[in-house]
Amino acid sequence: MRYWKAGIFFLIAFFIQTSLLNIINIGGYTPNLLLCLVVIFSFLYEKDMYGLVMGTVFGLAYDVCYSYVIGPTPIALIIVAVLVLVLREYANIENIISMWTVSVISFFVYYFVNWGLYKIAGTTFSLGYAFSHAIWAILYSLFVITILYIFMIKKVSRHHKDRYFR
Amino acid sequence: MRWIREHKLITGLLSLLIVMALIFVLSVVTGTGDNSLSSFLNNGVTKISGFFSSVGTNVRDGVSGIFAGASKQNEIDDLEEEIAKLQRELAQARLEEDQLQQLQELAGILNYDYTSETFNVVTADVKLKDGSNWTGVFTIDRGKESGISTGKIVISGAGLVGIVTETGDGWAKVRPAVSEDEKISFKLARDGSQLGIVSGNSEGTMSGYMLDDDSTVAEGDILISSGMGSYPEGIEIGSVKSVKYNSDKLMREITVEPAVSFESLRKVAVII
Repeated sequence: MRYWKAGIFFLIAFFIQTSLLNIINIGGYTPNLLLCLVVIFSFLYEKDMYGLVMGTVFGLAYDVCYSYVIGPTPIALIIVAVLVLVLREYANIENIISMWTVSVISFFVYYFVNWGLYKIAGTTFSLGYAFSHAIWAILYSLFVITILYIFMIKKVSRHHKDRYFR
Repeated sequence: MRWIREHKLITGLLSLLIVMALIFVLSVVTGTGDNSLSSFLNNGVTKISGFFSSVGTNVRDGVSGIFAGASKQNEIDDLEEEIAKLQRELAQARLEEDQLQQLQELAGILNYDYTSETFNVVTADVKLKDGSNWTGVFTIDRGKESGISTGKIVISGAGLVGIVTETGDGWAKVRPAVSEDEKISFKLARDGSQLGIVSGNSEGTMSGYMLDDDSTVAEGDILISSGMGSYPEGIEIGSVKSVKYNSDKLMREITVEPAVSFESLRKVAVII
């Protein structure tokens, strides 16, 4: 995959995250598409670091456009991208359970870092409150990342179910 | 230098994090403000996102229309707008007539014309919501062109929503009152002489205390803004969820359920 192709994925996610998804949400909650893309791209494409680069760019743009403080999203996404790049060294990327495990760890780390930075910026919300809302977003994001994985793994590893294929 | 050459990746990542941390610190200290880059990006993004938002609204209305009838949806939208207007009228009505007269006399003496006219509101649709799912920040489809500026108060049909933190042409960012440390002066709707202070707490609700320890505040009491500070008088803040007497501080502490449900917020009004 080339950078511009990855950029299109992020661009679409960037625009529909705060508009389309918020209108057709489930119970008021939406998946975090930027986070999903950072995790899946970092997990499946190690060398090009699409997740890290695009996560930084779009995370920064996201905060400029939608938040009252700039920094929590790109910083949290950079940390998540690095974490996934480290975790993938110990995981089998062709196994969906590895994907789920890495995703869940990444999501929790993202929301923890994100909340911590907002706390520094002066939010009154506690970690418990943030996670009580984030938990539904995490479950929803897990569903989205599973769909992305099913489609993208075929591009990364054409015969991933065939253990004899090289 | 040699270490940097040998560890280019780590150096690059650390540099990136340091730059982001500096941007973060700068934005916390100075605020995002109304700088030109931010406004330029927001103007463009709001227009594109607004398109997706409209598509989403049509999809939602279409789907709900199948079950409830599209006309019902329009009716709900109209009613929401009407409630917002009635809320403003109610806020005005809550200023008792003699109190208003006294204020007008005082304003006349001070040559100050605030109380001689009622405040105006601009109604707006909630267009974009922060995708974090917990900060509650959202963007509305009206901005500077409608007279909205930073610090303006946002209300809905149910009551107090929050304040405008940033604005541009055709958009304004709103931060909910429950996420603010700022203290709001209130009085009980049933007895205007009982005053108190509330602010957002860590649980996404509000907490505060009554100024008079003999207050008769009880569960279910409606709180309205007292008019002291930046919030105009008469806006419903919420209802008292619990009351506890703190014997150390000798005051009645209260927790308040906000009047507004932020998850389902679609129409708001900005007091200008």
